[in-house]
Amino acid sequence: MRILGSSELCEDVQKKDLCVDCGACAGLCPYFVSHKGKIARLFPCTLPQGRCHAFCPKTEIDLNHVSETIVGKSYDGSPLGHMRAIWKTRAGRLMQGKGAFQNGGTASSLLVAAMASGLIDAAALTRRKGLIPEPFLATSTDQILSCAGSKYMASPTLASVHEYSREKGQKLAVVGTPCQMTALGLIRMNPLGREDFHDPVALSMGLFCTWALDTRRLIRLIENRVNLQDIQSMDVPPPPSQVMTIRTCDQNLAIPLDEIRTAIPAGCSICPDMTAEFTDLSVGALEGDPSWNTLIVRTEKGESLVEEAVRQGYLERDAMRPEHLEHLRKGASAKKKRAFIMARDKHLLNTDPAKGPSALIIKEDLVKKLLGEEGSCLH
Amino acid sequence: MSPLSSGKKGSRHLFMGNEAIARGALEAGVRVVAGYPGTPASEIIENLAKIAKEGSRKLYVEWSVNEKVALEVASAASFAGLPTMAVMKQPGLNVAADYLLHLSGSGVRGPMVLVSADDPGALSSVNEGETRYYAKLMEIPLLEPGDFQEAKDMTTWAFKLSDTIKNVVLLRTVTRLSHASGTVVLGEIPENGSNAFFKHDGFILDPNEGAILSPPVEYKHTEQQRKLKIAEALFEDSPFNTYTGPEKPELLIITSSICSLYSKEAVSILGVRDRVGILKLGTTWPLPPKRLLKHLSSCDHIFIVEEVLPFLEDEVKILAAEHGKTLGAKFFYGKKEGYLPMVGEMNPDKVAAALSRILAMPQPGMDDVYKKRATEISFAGSPHREATFCPGCPHRASFWTLNTALSMDNRNGFVCGDIGCYSMAVLPAGFSTLKTLHAMGSGTGVASGFGKLGGFGMSQPVLSVCGDSTFFHSAIPPLVNAIHHHSNMTLVVLDNSGTAMTGFQPHPGLEKDAMGNVAEKIDIPEVCRALGAEVRVCDPFDVSESRQVLLDLMDRDGVKVLVLKQSCALSPEKKSLKKYTMSVDQSLCAGENCGCNRLCTRIFACPGLIWDKENNRSRIDEVVCAGCGVCSSICPKGAIMKKEAV
Repeated sequence: MRILGSSELCEDVQKKDLCVDCGACAGLCPYFVSHKGKIARLFPCTLPQGRCHAFCPKTEIDLNHVSETIVGKSYDGSPLGHMRAIWKTRAGRLMQGKGAFQNGGTASSLLVAAMASGLIDAAALTRRKGLIPEPFLATSTDQILSCAGSKYMASPTLASVHEYSREKGQKLAVVGTPCQMTALGLIRMNPLGREDFHDPVALSMGLFCTWALDTRRLIRLIENRVNLQDIQSMDVPPPPSQVMTIRTCDQNLAIPLDEIRTAIPAGCSICPDMTAEFTDLSVGALEGDPSWNTLIVRTEKGESLVEEAVRQGYLERDAMRPEHLEHLRKGASAKKKRAFIMARDKHLLNTDPAKGPSALIIKEDLVKKLLGEEGSCLH
Repeated sequence: MSPLSSGKKGSRHLFMGNEAIARGALEAGVRVVAGYPGTPASEIIENLAKIAKEGSRKLYVEWSVNEKVALEVASAASFAGLPTMAVMKQPGLNVAADYLLHLSGSGVRGPMVLVSADDPGALSSVNEGETRYYAKLMEIPLLEPGDFQEAKDMTTWAFKLSDTIKNVVLLRTVTRLSHASGTVVLGEIPENGSNAFFKHDGFILDPNEGAILSPPVEYKHTEQQRKLKIAEALFEDSPFNTYTGPEKPELLIITSSICSLYSKEAVSILGVRDRVGILKLGTTWPLPPKRLLKHLSSCDHIFIVEEVLPFLEDEVKILAAEHGKTLGAKFFYGKKEGYLPMVGEMNPDKVAAALSRILAMPQPGMDDVYKKRATEISFAGSPHREATFCPGCPHRASFWTLNTALSMDNRNGFVCGDIGCYSMAVLPAGFSTLKTLHAMGSGTGVASGFGKLGGFGMSQPVLSVCGDSTFFHSAIPPLVNAIHHHSNMTLVVLDNSGTAMTGFQPHPGLEKDAMGNVAEKIDIPEVCRALGAEVRVCDPFDVSESRQVLLDLMDRDGVKVLVLKQSCALSPEKKSLKKYTMSVDQSLCAGENCGCNRLCTRIFACPGLIWDKENNRSRIDEVVCAGCGVCSSICPKGAIMKKEAV
């Protein structure tokens, strides 16, 4: 994991359309800002090494290094990452009628529970403002609930982590997509060894993601069909449905996924992570039942929060049916394989440093294993 | 009272070339003067405007909206029988050229002089356009003063010539004449002349009482050429054409304008006065053939000294060829032979170098010790300074907004520009934001064209900039064009409340005219709204609001106008007044660390901010800082503090 400067970041990420607007490089300095789903560099910076490059989830990410540091185990390419448990969950009795959840309300419920227990003081979340999502720092239950719902678009949520890392003793929850959780891991590793960095993260919660959408491309797709300011929610119902639904106060628009997929940025195509593997907890939809979620528990901290939330009635949980788990694994391993193949084809996987930077670095024998015989170890 | 108007006949005064031209016009009894500001011509009208209302003098002076209108305004006075003058820099002559073609064809009544100032070497321009060729193209006489006395005398005589031939006379000056000063012996300023009256009901072909027009073209064109012949005959004996040197020189220098002084100096440096003769021409179109033939027959080796293009050289060569039988073969040493460059300003060194080559003499050089010391001092002794905007200049803030908004927008947008202080935005001073730079108003015309390329797959946002004076000068027609054709572009008007670059001359957006009279103020946003553009007005010093507004405008189709309004830092009402006292809290400043890397001194680079090498932090240069407060809003650490100045 070489750490370079802003010019290399622009060259290796922005110019290759790999930027997914996670926000890891924004808010650190005056040079990088997020606008309409993309990070822009305003002026060149001459520093040979910068946090912008160090934190970016698309610059030479050694997945093993991140896994060992954040999860404490080496990266083995298993479809769902390391996990202590997996459940189907939904908002518990204390959360009934409190919010308009996308599915079961698990993420919101766990955050409310974490705040009530004093585990966290604030949560770095993403809120909808018409079509365009924006980072939002929630410090109360109501604010947490106001951010419920999937966004399908990146927002520079991580910028607020930088804000909190300047002071000691912060207790921040960060909720985001897999790329954001990878970047969060990089941030917490303090790769440049800065003395003024204090890890503010008390809880990291990932959201399942197959892809996100490029803001401008999505706007172009839908601006003539819907008033962007009126958008209230978006959803991609599980198969066999092949549409994205966009809901406004008086309209339900269904757009074929084939059309929607044209708005996926290139950065998503090399992402091997569907379930946000470097987190305390990861939350996603549950196949076949939109009123529940899938919850993956990865760390001890995550586990104790879930236990407490269940005990107090913030969260309801049940065992996940084996065939649903199997489907989830299949989906996750398919994304992994697609990403590694794409990355390899674009010379972004384990590239010889003399020939240019990689985006992903994993052990070579693992590449062989993962991309070897069809299905041998991907399930 | 300035000696320009009060100086008595026979008295000697130190006058700038432009003052000498102004005095020359007064001595010719000029009544109406119109022009558009432009270096190096501006002081002619400025000086006349100052004295226009003195005593009982009848003189009307205006800064017109552009040079074409200036020529039209001035010509009206001529049509009504008054002595009149139009003044512009050479690029303005291009603007006025359309009307000039018609005017020179129709002829004039009251004497009319057109002064055009060239800027060889582009010291204050973005080109080194030529006036002289217009004389030939428009078939009007051309006079070129070679010193300060001539600048006055020739201007006065230009009116007489115009009165004789009843056509416009072109007077060309150059930067080094207009802006340098020399002694001038004054003549008499006449009493106020006759009243204005336009006679128009005579026979249509009557030059004194008929309608004024260029058709019937063949008849009028013949008349025009007949007038030019009269001028040519007068030029044969003109005292403005002089010869100094031996009767039969080894080498004949033919020169004109300020180059005659360079030639004199070069001949003197080389000590070849007894070998080289100098024929200085003041009447350069049409050339007086007899006068030239006389000198050409005295010498076979001809060295032609002039600036930029070989205008004189071509004409002399044509004449020599036409009379080849009697003159015999001549040896020419000019630009086409590579003795002098066809670009840039002339100077005595260049002339001396060419002269020593022609005469096979050692090239005169600087004293070695002096040269060594001068080189040392110029490289090591003087601090490096970029061409940049003044401290407190609104353009720095405006281009900060434009540049960062375009970067944030992330679609490879760009800005088309034109002439003004803001032309410097092609440089790091304006963060290299301007990507095209051409004539006045052209940024908007070019943007209007770019804004129609969406059909060819172009999705880059298109911006143009123009100043407030330029808006009136020539940005309105392209704006109309863009709106009419549903172009997609955003015009940013950098309104700093005056024609700032040339010295705060008034324009139609202001309440006072050149003479200080109350004028009708025309509101730029209202004009744009009336044309149908979406218009927003912001203070460029409010960087974040301006940027947000611009980002919103760029995202929408159609023609949008953003007026960034803030007075020039050097404007009379602002100069030396600090709104804020600025300071840097060095404990907050991030310096060169990740998180800043000297944004304020490295990129924003206002001269009021300096890098404190000892502490590796920024600080304010209190002497230079204009107190605009903008830098406090760009500091990522909030280390630059502003306090209302008391």
